[in-house]
Amino acid sequence: MKILIAVGSKEYSGPTLRVGMKVSHAFKASTTIVDVGEKVSSFNTKVVGLAQDRMESWNFNRPGVEVLEWAFEFLAEKKFIEPKAIEAGFPKNTLVDTGGNRSEVYLKGTVFDEVSLILRNGEIISELRDEVQSHQYDVTIIGGSKKRRMAHDLIQYIDSSIFIVNNYNPDQSYKILLAVDDSMATSKAVQYGARVAQAFDIDVDILTISKIESFGEGYKNAANRAAKFLRRCGIQHQNIYKVGNPSDVIKEIAGDNHIIVMGTSTRSPLKKFFKGSKPLKVMENCQCPILIVK
Amino acid sequence: MLGFSHRSLANFLFWVTQKKWFLITMMVGIILMLLPIPGGLTLEGYRIIIIVITALMLIVTEPISLPAIAIYILVMEVYFGIGSANDIAKSFMNDAVFFIMGSLMLAVAIIKQGWDTRIALGIIKITGNKTANIAFGFTAISAILSSFIGEHTVAAIMLPIGMTLIHFTSENDKKVQNLSAVLLFSIAYGCLVGSIGTPSGGGRNVIMIDYLRSSNLSISYIDWMIRIYPLVLIQIPIVSWVLIKSFPPEYSQLDSGVRKLVIQVAKSAELTGRNTVAAFIFLLVFLGWIFFSETIGLGTIALTGVLMYLVGGFVKWEDLNKNTHWGVILLFGSTISLGANIKATGAAEWLAGSVVSFVGPILNALPFLGDLMVTIMTTVMANVLSSSATVAVLGPITMNIGSDPLHMGLVTAIASAFGYFTAVAAPACTIVYSSGMVKAKDFLKVGWKMGLLSILLLVIYANTYWLFFS
Repeated sequence: MKILIAVGSKEYSGPTLRVGMKVSHAFKASTTIVDVGEKVSSFNTKVVGLAQDRMESWNFNRPGVEVLEWAFEFLAEKKFIEPKAIEAGFPKNTLVDTGGNRSEVYLKGTVFDEVSLILRNGEIISELRDEVQSHQYDVTIIGGSKKRRMAHDLIQYIDSSIFIVNNYNPDQSYKILLAVDDSMATSKAVQYGARVAQAFDIDVDILTISKIESFGEGYKNAANRAAKFLRRCGIQHQNIYKVGNPSDVIKEIAGDNHIIVMGTSTRSPLKKFFKGSKPLKVMENCQCPILIVK
Repeated sequence: MLGFSHRSLANFLFWVTQKKWFLITMMVGIILMLLPIPGGLTLEGYRIIIIVITALMLIVTEPISLPAIAIYILVMEVYFGIGSANDIAKSFMNDAVFFIMGSLMLAVAIIKQGWDTRIALGIIKITGNKTANIAFGFTAISAILSSFIGEHTVAAIMLPIGMTLIHFTSENDKKVQNLSAVLLFSIAYGCLVGSIGTPSGGGRNVIMIDYLRSSNLSISYIDWMIRIYPLVLIQIPIVSWVLIKSFPPEYSQLDSGVRKLVIQVAKSAELTGRNTVAAFIFLLVFLGWIFFSETIGLGTIALTGVLMYLVGGFVKWEDLNKNTHWGVILLFGSTISLGANIKATGAAEWLAGSVVSFVGPILNALPFLGDLMVTIMTTVMANVLSSSATVAVLGPITMNIGSDPLHMGLVTAIASAFGYFTAVAAPACTIVYSSGMVKAKDFLKVGWKMGLLSILLLVIYANTYWLFFS
């Protein structure tokens, strides 16, 4: 299992890092924390690189390093990395240029073997997509964005499950809202939902929504299988059956005290591109964290 | 769908979203191809205009990499019959391209010498502790150095000095926002106003000299300085004044920052004989530019300097290779090729003629309006494109507006340095922006003032001081 956590700044990425590391802990996953910095004008990439080399000789960090340093301090505080590494401090000298605007620091983890800190520069979706494709991550965890296009692009083009840490409040008590139906993606969503529930030690609401008054066998079976799986995992849960438009119902039930977990859309990419998808609508409507499982 | 997996369809859609500007550009090109050729323009002339329009769209929107745009220009020029494959290949390389190549390599060699500590000490010794004086010192030193070495080199050398002074004044960035803006913009704008001062101040100046030479108009290094350097000196205090007024600094004195900076510089390594030799090599290059550039060419002299640094072991080829942007050199070669072919196909004359026929009567009555028009056009283009590419493409056209190609050529070269408005307009702006201490909106906040003042100043300057040379 490999998890990628995308952070942007100390000010805004605290919840993303906290939630991301909790999830990583639950999955015992190799974890990579990435900061994607602003794209430098192509005309000037080399001269900016030269200027930054010079800045380093005056003991100034290049942009992004302080974000990684902050992430390192968080990992050290929570003892996710080995004491020896913590004692040595943030190893910025071992930030290795791995090519293609990407630099990396390897750390030895305690809960999981590998923890890496990565700096990339460029357009965020392209960089995350490239990172996920070339290093085969299972889940990408990222903070919420108000841009509709961003949400669409994350779901459409990132080849991993996506956990968007939208408006996460550490003082709020959450429940998992596990949306199930008869689609292929549901069984994986149930597994992921159970792990996240264990990570946060919270209950699960299994939500089955039908657009018509009656619930088909496929829907009922999916809900029952989810309940059975959660029971086996020892997770408190309840089944909720609702009729209505899925994204409206999910929004209504989720409120601001649920972490939504749902499977990805099985629609063709072309249809998703032009018509959108259920997860996209949910993401646009809801003001709480959401995990879309692929 | 049609046997394509969901993944390959998603990949294709991603490609379309990433390359949408490439597809739009190609559609614009095809539409232009289908339109009738305007009267008075040859087929080749019309086609080169289509290549220019599409290439400029690609450079501004950057859906493909810069070297790919250069290759696009090359292949289109051959496929459109603008010239034979050999002719087009030749048009890619001239002394200006050598100069840009040499200048980028010299930057690597010079920056690695660590002259910044000496410069820091020099500035502080002259200016003292007063913020306004330090800002003026930063502007003046950046302007004077960049008029000879090139703005990217100077900005890279000056940035750590500015950042150290800011950091030593307060470690809380929020308490020194205005001070940061004043000092960092002093570097960026100082470099911009200085880069017009001599031919070696920027690749665009050399491109213009090349165009002038091909029109049998020669201007020596010293002639250039005599005509343009006073404008640099006039602009230095203006930059400083505008910056102090736009971003009133939080501290009027930088006592503690200056003291700590002096201590830090004192701790750094002593000046070695090797540093002196490196400086002497650059002095030789500079003297070569002044005395031999007309016969040997600025590019060859710059590359001679690079050769000396390599032979002397001051820089390794691996470093030069790693830090020189070959793609940019290729792109400048291609824009120079475009410029040469705009001229060769008669498109430049046609475009200039179209402008003149449109505004000709006004220009006859008020000749300075021609300068104003060219200055504004060049400034706008330089802020969205790149200054060298702007001169390469616009130069052959603007030189045909009015009766004095030398006058218009110099106006174009100078106006291309007015890249005050965006963080990406000029290397010096991008370098200070990369520090993270100034915001993109700050460039607009102060850029419009500098832009307006520089445009007006240039028009007045070109129509008064230059009259002595006519």
